[in-house]
Amino acid sequence: MTQPTGIARAMPPRSRPLPFRKVLIANRGEIVCRIARTLRELSIPSVAIFHAAEARSAHVRAADEAVEILGETPVAAHLDGGRIIEAALAAGADAIHPGYGFLSENAAFARATAAAGLTFIGPGADLIALMGDKISARDFAERHGVPVAPSVISDGDAASFMAAAERIGFPLLIKAAAGGGGKGMKIVRSVEALAEATRSAASEALRYFGDGRIYAELYVDRPRHIEVQVLGDGRGGAVTLFERECSVQRRFQKIIEEAPAPNLADDIRERMLDAALQLTSAAKYLNAGTIEFILGSDGRFFFLEMNTRLQVEHPVTEMITGIDLVRAQMEIAAGHGLPFQQADIVRKGVAIECRICAEDPERDFLPETGIVQYLGKPEAPYLRFENALDKGQKITADFDPMLAKLVVHGETRDQAISRSIAALEELAILGVKTNAEYLERVLAHPAFRAGDLHTGFVAEHAEALNAAPLDASTLDHVLIAAALGFREFRESVFGAPEPHATIGRWRN
Amino acid sequence: MALKLTFAGRVHILEIVRRRPHLVVSIDGREHEIAATGDGGDGRHTLEIAGEALHVARAQVGERQVVRLRGRTHEIGLIDPRSEIAETGAGNDEVKAPMPGRVVSVHKSAGDAVLRGEAVATIESMKLQMALVAPRDGRLAAILRGEGDSVDKDETVARLEALTSED
Repeated sequence: MTQPTGIARAMPPRSRPLPFRKVLIANRGEIVCRIARTLRELSIPSVAIFHAAEARSAHVRAADEAVEILGETPVAAHLDGGRIIEAALAAGADAIHPGYGFLSENAAFARATAAAGLTFIGPGADLIALMGDKISARDFAERHGVPVAPSVISDGDAASFMAAAERIGFPLLIKAAAGGGGKGMKIVRSVEALAEATRSAASEALRYFGDGRIYAELYVDRPRHIEVQVLGDGRGGAVTLFERECSVQRRFQKIIEEAPAPNLADDIRERMLDAALQLTSAAKYLNAGTIEFILGSDGRFFFLEMNTRLQVEHPVTEMITGIDLVRAQMEIAAGHGLPFQQADIVRKGVAIECRICAEDPERDFLPETGIVQYLGKPEAPYLRFENALDKGQKITADFDPMLAKLVVHGETRDQAISRSIAALEELAILGVKTNAEYLERVLAHPAFRAGDLHTGFVAEHAEALNAAPLDASTLDHVLIAAALGFREFRESVFGAPEPHATIGRWRN
Repeated sequence: MALKLTFAGRVHILEIVRRRPHLVVSIDGREHEIAATGDGGDGRHTLEIAGEALHVARAQVGERQVVRLRGRTHEIGLIDPRSEIAETGAGNDEVKAPMPGRVVSVHKSAGDAVLRGEAVATIESMKLQMALVAPRDGRLAAILRGEGDSVDKDETVARLEALTSED
């Protein structure tokens, strides 16, 4: 991968050639382009897969060859592990990189890949299964000294439940053990309120779910979502590549991530990195992974889950460390062990990722569709615009609404923010509504600038994040610019036929 | 000639005041001199209005122009003088999909009476489910999409009978 100037570069020269003949990338969109880029640098041929509906996509052109996967819908094709493994074998590939999403955390697919004699670029099926199950992952973390949010489940005896709940401390979240969706959920802030909350939660649990058992866990006020990037060699050797802050979310999905986390006390960072390292090592984790934590405003943090794959937001870590994570994945999968020691991994500056999604922030972030009629991509040595977009491309509801990722590096956080805002202004995707302007407003918000982040950021600042009305002069300028695009207007100004206007219609 | 442009739910009147030496237009009565007009195609253009250079990106999307200026994107329509009513749209008889997706279930049949706010169908788009509700009390004249059908944004999924005096 070409490293832009101004960004750390820490990848050691490759000592041994990697033993892969050809790698199939079982994914679509920007991540295929990104993985294919590193494979090309490693002189490893790549194979893309596609459903008939995306035959002309940029990700198909990004790889050296491409195989069509049949399927009733495009998503079904990308989830058809059996056909994908057959395609890999037929193409002469000896490894599969799953990217993120789709089959990347599917233990059965990892197992079938290995059984077919192919290398799965990721951990083995057992590790995927261990971390894929919330309960087993949590128990494993707890057994290895990683903090998990304390909780207690009632056995029917209210007195012993309350005693245990009190030992956890306040605030507490009490909810139905059998339920979800907020029914019967209470936040208890003091011991005085515990008895009444226990009684009413249990009765609501019985009424709504036919099961009176309730569950109490520590409630985290203004939680931050912070995750640690790790690499493991599968034998207990592990390194961490610092943390990422992923607190700015909508619909429980991240929209802005950054590395390192702002306003994170050194001792908390250190303990978090240590906990992640301990877990990676204890699990004898293999390949790249991410350990997600929830951090409370009181400085306590708890294990949430481990993602056993490359993350969407991995480029922010690459930008501050100069490490190509896909290349590291390939080195580890080749059995070469960890490509670097912990001491080799240093960070420089700040990187921010904005997820550009086809959605309407003014309508509760509902997905949007359309055709990309005009595409202007931002360019600068300090940014990566990760995308698989083409002019004329249809944006449908077949896939996730994420269109692209804008990843920007700065010497300081302020610089990274300002550069991100400028790049978002330069970006032009016309023909489908996106959240780009909304992201700009988030970045420009004083609370974001101050690094005052938590997972309720979008809701807390909802009003301030609305678009300001246009002033009269800008309104007129917009209307003039629009009028100049209408053939009816140009003909009455310039007289018909006006050659440019006509050509404008024919182009593309 | 006056053009009626629609933007953010409002109609704006644009008139050509002069063509030479430079184009002068008035928008809702405010005059602007345009020294550089760019070409009429999609893409980036530099316009000059009242001596100020404006960098815009513009694309025709369907019957509308999408204009990006100073980091913000706007959609502008043109009212065709021949069908001026088109932009006003009644719509209260229609149950429309606010987002593209797939119909996961239809809760009513044609002929059923519905109350305002009652769910007629549920659609799903990218793991997100949404109930499509009746815009008013009435009777369903037709259900136009069935389970498993895909729907476009703003597509009519069901239609209520027109209001009559009995309703």
